[in-house]
Amino acid sequence: MTQRIPLIARDLKRLYTGFLIAAAALFVLCSFLTEFNVMTLIANGDAFWEFITEDFLPPALPRASRIPGVLDSVVVTLALAMSSTTVAAILAFFVSLFGSEKVSPFPRFAKVVRGFATFLRNIPALVWAFILFSSLGIGTGVGFVALCITSFAFMVRAFVETMEDVSQDCVESLQAVGATFPQRVSQAILPSCLSGFLSWYLYCVEVNIRASTIVGMVGGGGVGLTLFSYIKSFQYDIALSIILLVAAMVIVVDQITGKLRKELLK
Amino acid sequence: MEPILKFDNVSKHYPNGVHALKGVSFAIREGEFVSVIGPSGSGKSTLLRAINRLIPISGGTVWLDGQAVSALRGRSLRQLRRKVGMIFQNYNLVYSLSVLQNVLHGRLGYMSGVKGVLGLYSEADKQEGLDLLAELGLADFAYNRASDLSGGQKQRVGIARAIMQGPKLLLCDEPIASLDPSSAKTIMDLLRDMARRRNIACIVNLHQLDVALKYSTRIIGLSKGEVVFDGPPERLDDATIERIYGTSRENLMMGGNCDDPADTADCA
Amino acid sequence: MNVDLTREYPMSQSRAEKRERGKSRIPVKCRQRNRFIPGFLIGVAALSVLSLLYLGIDWGKMFSRVPDIGLVFWDLAHLDFSNMDLILSSLVETISIAVLSLLYSLILGVVFGMFAARNVFRVPLLSVATQSFFTFLRAVPTPVWVLLMLVCLGMGPEAGVAGLCVHTTAFFTKSFAQSFESIPDETIEALEVTGAGRLSIFCNAILPAALSQIVAWAGMRLETNFSECAILGMVGAGGIGYVISNSLQGYDYGTAGVAILLVFLVAYCIERVFVRIKKKFS
Repeated sequence: MTQRIPLIARDLKRLYTGFLIAAAALFVLCSFLTEFNVMTLIANGDAFWEFITEDFLPPALPRASRIPGVLDSVVVTLALAMSSTTVAAILAFFVSLFGSEKVSPFPRFAKVVRGFATFLRNIPALVWAFILFSSLGIGTGVGFVALCITSFAFMVRAFVETMEDVSQDCVESLQAVGATFPQRVSQAILPSCLSGFLSWYLYCVEVNIRASTIVGMVGGGGVGLTLFSYIKSFQYDIALSIILLVAAMVIVVDQITGKLRKELLK
Repeated sequence: MEPILKFDNVSKHYPNGVHALKGVSFAIREGEFVSVIGPSGSGKSTLLRAINRLIPISGGTVWLDGQAVSALRGRSLRQLRRKVGMIFQNYNLVYSLSVLQNVLHGRLGYMSGVKGVLGLYSEADKQEGLDLLAELGLADFAYNRASDLSGGQKQRVGIARAIMQGPKLLLCDEPIASLDPSSAKTIMDLLRDMARRRNIACIVNLHQLDVALKYSTRIIGLSKGEVVFDGPPERLDDATIERIYGTSRENLMMGGNCDDPADTADCA
Repeated sequence: MNVDLTREYPMSQSRAEKRERGKSRIPVKCRQRNRFIPGFLIGVAALSVLSLLYLGIDWGKMFSRVPDIGLVFWDLAHLDFSNMDLILSSLVETISIAVLSLLYSLILGVVFGMFAARNVFRVPLLSVATQSFFTFLRAVPTPVWVLLMLVCLGMGPEAGVAGLCVHTTAFFTKSFAQSFESIPDETIEALEVTGAGRLSIFCNAILPAALSQIVAWAGMRLETNFSECAILGMVGAGGIGYVISNSLQGYDYGTAGVAILLVFLVAYCIERVFVRIKKKFS
């Protein structure tokens, strides 16, 4: 017998081999389709390095008269993320009450609500921004609405899942007591799910800080727009300091939300 | 005496094709303590939830206190539901609220919308809740979070919430299935005494045949959605048990009649 | 504990007395309340209101244009299939970029995750350095990386793949390191005493144990990568995003409608497949 002794169960092995083969096939196919080759990347390495060292380093400050404007744009980005997430969370809370068959007073419409949220969620925020830009014009307000739409849709899904996990039982018991729908919401769902909801809210703030920078680049205002204009005008050294600023902003917000989430779930 | 609850040829089939109840008929009078027994999936839980319309039935009529349950909607349904207390296997408390708040949830059916939403209970209700907790031996825990209690204590809170409704009928869905034997005995004793003292009819879904035999004044045996036995516990013979569970008595886990004395002490 | 309780909430008798005097009310809430949540809610509300005021959005103007949104959607719904070959080829390109960047990052992520995890090489300095470096990379938004790559490599899918790889690798490094670290130390110790080398311990014990989590992370990331990939075009890196932004700016709503619909369908399919896989693994 030349057969080798297998080390893991057959079906598991088959699963992993299947995954590997699929990944390899996809890799070859996609490389062929895009004519992407790592070697060209590596061959370009020198040019890349030169570009970084010559154009980017050292980071330079924008002209002194511009600095307040830059800082203001950072605050705009933060404010955009914060306010749009909050508005979206409030809307999502009320809508998600109707998105679960077990909680909603109209179980038949729960699927419709969830389907609507799925539709909104699966179109990227930036595409929403573009659609809105072409109807409402460019501006912070439009960026606000675009961010609202995606985080609203995301939170509807997350809230519905939280509710079905946590409060299905106590909703049933309050139903048996003869409580009305608003009473069930305020006495059962809200107390048991609030910390879960808020944890998702914080996650959404994190996501939206990044997203609002990106939406800003295409016309939503804020630090994204400032950064984009510096890159477009080839002032890479100033762009680098703004990139560092954005990175610092994102890291600080991540740290704060991480701390708050730990406190919430205690 | 007019029966408090009457099932008239009630049937229920789910969209997935399961016939949970098939032509079930019986009547229950005040002060009765009825155990519903049967294997898993025999329709016990559906039967209980059909009474206060947590599950809508597909055929027949459920008469509760002279009203047809299936005809009711909205406000009148809620008014009917508050006459029926319910106790659940998983206690179904709101664990982030205090014990007293959970007990006071029993009054929500009597309160106006806004007051109930804001949780503004009357002083008389609060006093009654505290007294009830004292009666159940939970006076010291009134202001603890419900999540801090043990299983038996949680179920006592569940009982207090149901009694708070001032019900005429108490529905208990596997009240002791998640409890250890000694808490289970406490809960069953409490249920029987509370119901007897307040003259509340009680319907209990049970898995434990010996408990059903010990506590109930009447037993209803369900099998595949049909009532196969309805009578006092004395008349429940081995042949009937075999019809209910589809297996003979020797194959059932019984605390009451096996030879191990410790086991008997636990459950009896 | 009990003493405290009686002091704070006197016995029911005295409470009844008090009630007769009609002064104090019986409390209902928990003794130990989570004081954090109310404060948190107030803080969030205040910050949000301040933010809205700071943004100073002209709501009147916005709402007056709301009917225009309806018009745009109406136009988008008039699907125009005449540019189908362009749309399909750019969609394929977008999907390829998403898949390629995912696969490359997967390999890089395992390697760097190995460095970043504290329990593989047990060199704290290496882990901290790797982790902070990738935290920085992750904090810079993807379009910035893509823009930089566009400048270096010129237009084309290469810039897209390379730009997405930066962010995806950083994400994988962090999450894989987490998965590696969740493996109990005892398991590693048990192999250590057999005299196995660090790398062979990693390949034979840590990696297989984390495999199912790696698959889960990869699935989740594919979703994100596809939607990010679709937005790449808007900063000029080609693909379906370019078609969408270009046709919207050129008032060719029919084509944009088809492209957006396809983006939605692909994203939806990825999500469904991922939900299936997750169910299978759990």
